[in-house]
Amino acid sequence: MATLVAEAAAPRVSSGLWRDALRRLSRNGPALIGLFFIAVFVLGAILAPYISHFDPTVGKLTDRYQGPSLTHLMGTDKLGRDEFTRVLYGARISLTVGVTAVLFGLIGGVVVGSIAGAAGGVVDGILMRIIDVLLAVPGILLAIGIVSWLGHGEVQIILAVGISYSPQFARLLRGSLLALRESDYVTAARSMGASPARILLRHMLPNALTPLIVQATLAAATAIIDVAGLGFLGLGPGDPRIAEWGEMLTDASSFLQNYPYLIFFPGAAIVISAIGFNLLGDGLREALDPRLKR
Amino acid sequence: MHLLSIRDLVVKFRTHDGTVHAVNGVSLDLDVGEALGLVGESGCGKSVTNLALMRLLPKPAGRIEGGQIYFEGQDLLELDESAMRDLRGKDVAMIFQDPMTSLNPVLTIQEQMVETIRAHRKISKADARARTIELLRMVGIPQPEARLRDYPHQFSGGMRQRVMIAMALALEPKLLIADEPTTALDVTIQAQVLELLSSLAAERNTAVILITHDLGVVAGRTQRTNVMYAGFVVEAASTPDLFSRPRHPYTIGLLHSMPRVDAQSGEPLIPIEGVPPDLRQAPVGCPFAPRCAWVVEECWKTMPPLVPIDRVAGVETTGPNVTHRVACWNVPTADEAVAAHPERPGFVPAAPPSAVESAR
Repeated sequence: MATLVAEAAAPRVSSGLWRDALRRLSRNGPALIGLFFIAVFVLGAILAPYISHFDPTVGKLTDRYQGPSLTHLMGTDKLGRDEFTRVLYGARISLTVGVTAVLFGLIGGVVVGSIAGAAGGVVDGILMRIIDVLLAVPGILLAIGIVSWLGHGEVQIILAVGISYSPQFARLLRGSLLALRESDYVTAARSMGASPARILLRHMLPNALTPLIVQATLAAATAIIDVAGLGFLGLGPGDPRIAEWGEMLTDASSFLQNYPYLIFFPGAAIVISAIGFNLLGDGLREALDPRLKR
Repeated sequence: MHLLSIRDLVVKFRTHDGTVHAVNGVSLDLDVGEALGLVGESGCGKSVTNLALMRLLPKPAGRIEGGQIYFEGQDLLELDESAMRDLRGKDVAMIFQDPMTSLNPVLTIQEQMVETIRAHRKISKADARARTIELLRMVGIPQPEARLRDYPHQFSGGMRQRVMIAMALALEPKLLIADEPTTALDVTIQAQVLELLSSLAAERNTAVILITHDLGVVAGRTQRTNVMYAGFVVEAASTPDLFSRPRHPYTIGLLHSMPRVDAQSGEPLIPIEGVPPDLRQAPVGCPFAPRCAWVVEECWKTMPPLVPIDRVAGVETTGPNVTHRVACWNVPTADEAVAAHPERPGFVPAAPPSAVESAR
């Protein structure tokens, strides 16, 4: 009975996995830097109209090709549009399209991965072969194909990038589920009469979630690059007036010799936001993986 | 009618290394409220027998290739999956070996127990919660109301096993299968948990199958004990009878290799020589023959049937007057059982059929 007493007397610590993870994340320097970068871009995107009074789509031709100054922090482009304003508004496209695309890919991947991992057997075999084929095609190539097929537009980019990302999520989840299927608590839940749906949704998916969260954060970084890449290749949002980092790069590349700052700022925005998501993703991986506990 | 009757159960696993003959024709009976010990070393088929009974064998490798499992007269092997799901937890519940891994780490105790209760009974969440508190108190969890929202990692091993017991008994099952329930626990906790398990089962008249590799665990806690070896039941008796009159060479070996409190000082422990057979080979003859001191020629050819050791009119497979049965062609005598080796003048163990060996 000694243990009973000890148990009762012990201080009540109520700390869940998420709280632990949050604490570890808050002590992770690089992850906080990443979070800061992301926060800067998110705030910039949301508050763009309040930060800058210029219109991202309208410029004065008389003001074109101005170098960085106090009025135009990042200078102006060939149509006299304020570069700083365009980078801010570009963040809106990059972040919303990038993140939505990852979420879309995540949902698709979770559905396919769950079916494969829970059903097993022939269903699993067929789904995984389809995924192998999709993974064999480079993601950006697949996305280009889908955009050229569906046409220009933000929704099309989300679909294209999302579809090209879902295989990696599906395969990751399916692997976790296969391991969890043989775990003691899943057998225990089955021995208590839990239905297959309940076992998948309550017992297996929550336990398979953390690698997906990490992967999704890291994928957000590449999604931003892919969205910019599509823009650079002329497959961005249909309206050429819309500020989009990739298209800004294409525009600026013609004047690289004379006005290098035009390519520097959107380029830096892409790199910094991608680094932000990468740092956060790495930090999340360390925070959520108990084996990396320090 | 018995609560549970397993008849000639055969379970095989198809693996990349070949077919594993895990259970090779096990029959056993169990009455309402009876406690049966299933004893044997790792891989003797005791857990597989019970997973087969729950129809929870790992798919697609594990297959039931023969036999019947009657629970309250219904052959479980003929039930469809949804009827089987209904039976699991409600009529037959299971407690697993490792309480550290058999609770879901991301769900609170309350979520797991309420979910289990509500999967089978149409009651409100509040009622299920009240029942959970009652159950946790019953298994000796202090301050159950406060601990409901705790996660498994906030409990010690012994406490978790108590939670598992509470969960298994939540729906008042008729049969409780405890698969090595104390193996993963500290020695000091083992007795407490076993005591709790048997007293709760006795109060509710729940039948128990206690699976263990430790003969000491079944002593005093079960009415009957079946000894298993390589997928066969080799000896079946009432527990006191098994300890006082072991008859199968394997049971004798187990008892002699176990340290006893009442042993004379200096009395040596006698190990069982050799290793268990490779289950990937189809059994030929008695699987214990290679390790047996009493081996006769017949042992190498055919598996002996499980038959009464005394001449009796009828065979009782359950109850306090269960017939002591043993599967052996050359049953050791009582004196030999004490000495742990054959004492017949001129007895020479039969050599393995080398002609057959070399022909392979």
